Amino acid sequence: MTSDAVNSGRRKFLTAATSAVGAAGVVGILTPFVGSWNPSAKAKAAGAPVKADVSLLEPGQMLVIEWRGQPVYVVNRTASQLEALAGLNGQLRDPESENTAQQPDYVTGIERSTNPNILVVVGLCTHLGCAPKFVPEVGVPDMGGAAWVGGFFCPCHGSKFDLSGRVYAGVPAPSNLLVPPYSYEGDNVLVVGVNPENV
Amino acid sequence: MSNVLIGLRDWVDARLPIMKAWNTHMAKYYAPKNFNFWYFFGVLSLLVLVNQLLTGIWLTMSYTPSQEDAFASVEYIMRDVDYGWILRYMHSTGASAFFVVVYLHMFRAMLYGSYKKPRELIWIFGMLIFVVLMAEAFVGYVLPWGQMSYWGAQVIISLFGAIPYVGEDIVTWIRGDYLLSGITLNRFFALHVVALPIVLLALVVLHLLALHEVGSNNPDGVDIKKHKDKDGVPLDGVAFHPYYTVHDLQAIGVFLFIFCGIMFFMPEMGGFFLEYPNFEQANNLKTPEHIAPTWYFTPFYSVLRAVPDKLWGFIAFAASVAIPFMLPWLDRSPVRSWRYRGNITKVMLVAFVSSFLILGVLGAWAPTEGRTILARICSIIYFSFFLLMPIWSSIDKTKPLPERITMDGGIGFWGSMGALLLILALTVLPLQAVAASSYECGTIECDEFVADPHDKASLQSGIKTYMNYCMGCHSLQYQRYGRVAEDLGIPEDLFHVNLMFDPDVKMGALMENAMNKDEAKKWFGAAPPDLTLVSRARQPQWLYTYLRTFYQDDSRPYGVNNKVFKDVGMPHVLLELQGMQECAPGPVAADNGGVKRDPLTGEDILDDPCGQLVIPVAGKMTPEEFDKTVYDLVNFLAYSAEPMVVDRHRIGMFTLLFIALFTVFAWLLNREYWKDVH
Repeated sequence: MTSDAVNSGRRKFLTAATSAVGAAGVVGILTPFVGSWNPSAKAKAAGAPVKADVSLLEPGQMLVIEWRGQPVYVVNRTASQLEALAGLNGQLRDPESENTAQQPDYVTGIERSTNPNILVVVGLCTHLGCAPKFVPEVGVPDMGGAAWVGGFFCPCHGSKFDLSGRVYAGVPAPSNLLVPPYSYEGDNVLVVGVNPENV
Repeated sequence: MSNVLIGLRDWVDARLPIMKAWNTHMAKYYAPKNFNFWYFFGVLSLLVLVNQLLTGIWLTMSYTPSQEDAFASVEYIMRDVDYGWILRYMHSTGASAFFVVVYLHMFRAMLYGSYKKPRELIWIFGMLIFVVLMAEAFVGYVLPWGQMSYWGAQVIISLFGAIPYVGEDIVTWIRGDYLLSGITLNRFFALHVVALPIVLLALVVLHLLALHEVGSNNPDGVDIKKHKDKDGVPLDGVAFHPYYTVHDLQAIGVFLFIFCGIMFFMPEMGGFFLEYPNFEQANNLKTPEHIAPTWYFTPFYSVLRAVPDKLWGFIAFAASVAIPFMLPWLDRSPVRSWRYRGNITKVMLVAFVSSFLILGVLGAWAPTEGRTILARICSIIYFSFFLLMPIWSSIDKTKPLPERITMDGGIGFWGSMGALLLILALTVLPLQAVAASSYECGTIECDEFVADPHDKASLQSGIKTYMNYCMGCHSLQYQRYGRVAEDLGIPEDLFHVNLMFDPDVKMGALMENAMNKDEAKKWFGAAPPDLTLVSRARQPQWLYTYLRTFYQDDSRPYGVNNKVFKDVGMPHVLLELQGMQECAPGPVAADNGGVKRDPLTGEDILDDPCGQLVIPVAGKMTPEEFDKTVYDLVNFLAYSAEPMVVDRHRIGMFTLLFIALFTVFAWLLNREYWKDVH
C-alpha cells in the first residue's frame, strides 16, 4: 500500500459530505419508525368528537360522556350556582384561570365555559387522575359546612374544585380541571373535541 | 468537545477493551486488497439483518398474534398505522433480500473455496445461519395468517409425518392442536420474534469471530499472511477500516437503490415476495388452487416433490439442505479458488448452479409429468455435485498458485457476463421445454386492465357502483369511510349523505356490513367474501373479466353461470345494467392459448357452443358504458386493496433520488481512498 501523496483535504471533504448525506438518510429512515408511534386511524376514530344534546339536561344535573376514553362532565348550572362563583375567588388557587394550559383560549371568565350555564370539563383530577365526585349540594358538613356552595371532590386525595372546575387552595391538585375543546351544533348539540368555527 | 469525548473513550477503554476490539475487527483487521463484486454480500446480509430486526420489532408493536385478529392486524398496519405500510414492506422485501444476498454470499464461498482449511468452522456457522434463517422465514411467513401462510405451513409441518412410527405424533406436537390453529400461530410468533433471532445473532457473532481469527480468503485463494512487512502487516492486505468500510458503502448505496426500487414500486414482486393468495385470510376448509412456497424454499421443495415416496422425499429434502455442511471435507482439491482449478470444476459449478436455479423455478410451478422428470434430473445433478466431489475435485487439473495475490485475475467483467449468460441459457432452455400455458381467467384469457389510482372521477364512479350493487352483501371491513372520502376527494358531508346506508355510523368507522354470515351462507351456499383485498388476491384483470362474463345458464340456482368463475354462487347483480348475456357458437380455445384453427383451411373453428356471449335484450347501458362502469368499479377495488399506492410511488421516487445522490458521494469517497492502493 502506497500512500505518500494522500490528499487529506479532499478525503476530509468527501468524508464529511458522505456523512452529511448519510445522516440525512438516517433521519429519513427514522421517520416511519417515529411516525408509526402516533395515534393510528383506529385510535383517531375511537377518539373522534362525541355529541350530546344538552337541552335534555335539567338545571343542576350532570351528564358524563366519554371522549377519548376520558369522562367528560357536562353540568347545567343553575343561576344561583353561577352567582356563587364570584364569592369563592379568595379561596381558590387560580380563580382567573391564568394557567392557560387548562382551557382553550375561547373559554374565559370565572364560568370557564362558552355557554355560561353549561360547564364542560374533563372529569379527571389534576393531581393524580382520579375521577372527582359531583357534590352539588350546599353546606355539606364533610366539605367544610356552610362555606361549601357545591363543586367537585376527589375521593383519592381530597382535592376540591368549584362548579367551574377551579381548584381550591390548600389541596394536592395543582391546577383547575381541564376544559376540552368543544363547540355547539345549533343551540343544543354539544360537540366535544371540535373547536368553534370562528376561532 | 472532542477532548471530552476522547476522555470518555479512554475512561471506558481502561475498563472495557473497546479500542482493542475496534482494532481487532476494524482498524487493524487486514483484508486482502483484491476483493471483488462477490465480497459485498457479507456486509449486505448484515445490513438486511439489522433492517429485519428493527422493522420486525416495530411490526410487533401493532401486530396481534391470534387466529382471529392476525390477518386483520396486518391490514391495520398497512392502512391505519402511520407509515405502517413502509415498515411492513421493508420487512417483507427484506425477507427475500436476505435470501438473495445469503445465496450469493454462499456461492462466493464455493467459487473461491472459502470453506477449505482453515475456514471450516466459518462455513459451518454460516450453514447454521442459513438453516436457522430458513426456519425463521418459515415461521414468519405463517404470521400474516393468509391462505398461503396456512397451507404452506400445513404442507411443511405435515412433512414430519413421514417419519416412521412417531411422525404423526410429532406433527400434532408441533401444531399443539389437531389442525394448524391459533395455538400454532402463537408459538410460531414466539419463535419468530424472540427465540430464533437470538440464535441467529449468536451465530452471526460466532461466524464473524471465527472469520477474524483466521482472516479472510480472497478470489485467488492464496494466503496473504505469508508476506508481511516489518510491522507484521500483510503486504497484500489493507485495513478493513477505512478501506473496506468506504468500499462497502458504495455497494450499500447500489443495494439500497435496488431494494427500495422493489419495495416502493413492486412490493409483491409479481407474487414471489408476497404471494397473491396470501391476501385472503386463512381458511382451513379451502386449499388454494396452487400452493408454492416462497421462492427461497423452492429448490429444496422441488427435490421433495421429485421423489415419489413420502419418507424418501422427506429424507431427500432434508439431505438437500444438510449436504452443503460437508463441503469442507468433500472438496479434495489442493487449491481453493476455481481460478486455479481445471475444466471439471468449471463444468460442475455451472451444472450445479443451473440445476439449482431450475429446481427453484420448478418448485414454484405446478407439477406436470415433464416437470417432474426435469426435477429428478436436476436433483441428481445437485446431489452428484456434492457426493462425487471427492472424486472430481481430486482428479481435476490445477494451475500453479501465484506467490502473491493478483489484481487482474479471474475472467473479468465480460467473462463474468458470459458465464452468467451461459448459466441462464442452461436454466431457461430446459424450463421452456416443460412450460405449459394455462388460462389465468378460468376458461378464457383475462381482458387487459390497468388500474389508475390518480383518476379520481373513475374512483368516485366506482365507489358509487360499489355502494349500490355490492355493499349490501360484501363488506370492505379493513377500509374506513373517512379515508375513502379523503383519498377520493369526496367532501365528508356529501359522502355521509349519499354513500352511507346508516346515518349513525361515523366517518372513522370500518366499512363493515350488517349481513349475517351464517344466514348468507344458507342463501348463497357461501358467505359473500369481504372485498377489501380481493383485487390483490385475485388481481384486477381477473375481476374485470369476471364481472363482465356472466351468462344465462338455467341449470344454476340463480340462472347464471360465469366464464371466469365456473359455477359461482353469486347472482348477476349488474344484470339490469348489462342485460342478460347468452351463449352463442364461437371460437374454440386451443391448448396453446390461441384459437383453434381448422388444419386444412386454416380458418378459425367456431364450434364451441359458448365460444362467445351475445346480449339479445339490451340492459340499461350500452356494452361500452357497461365496460366503463365495471372498469371504474374494479379501479375502486384496486384502490381499496392498497389505498397507499399513490403515496408509495411518490415517496419511492424521492427515496431513489436520494439514494442515488448518496451513492455518488460514496463512490467518490471510495475512489479517493483506493486511488493509491495497487
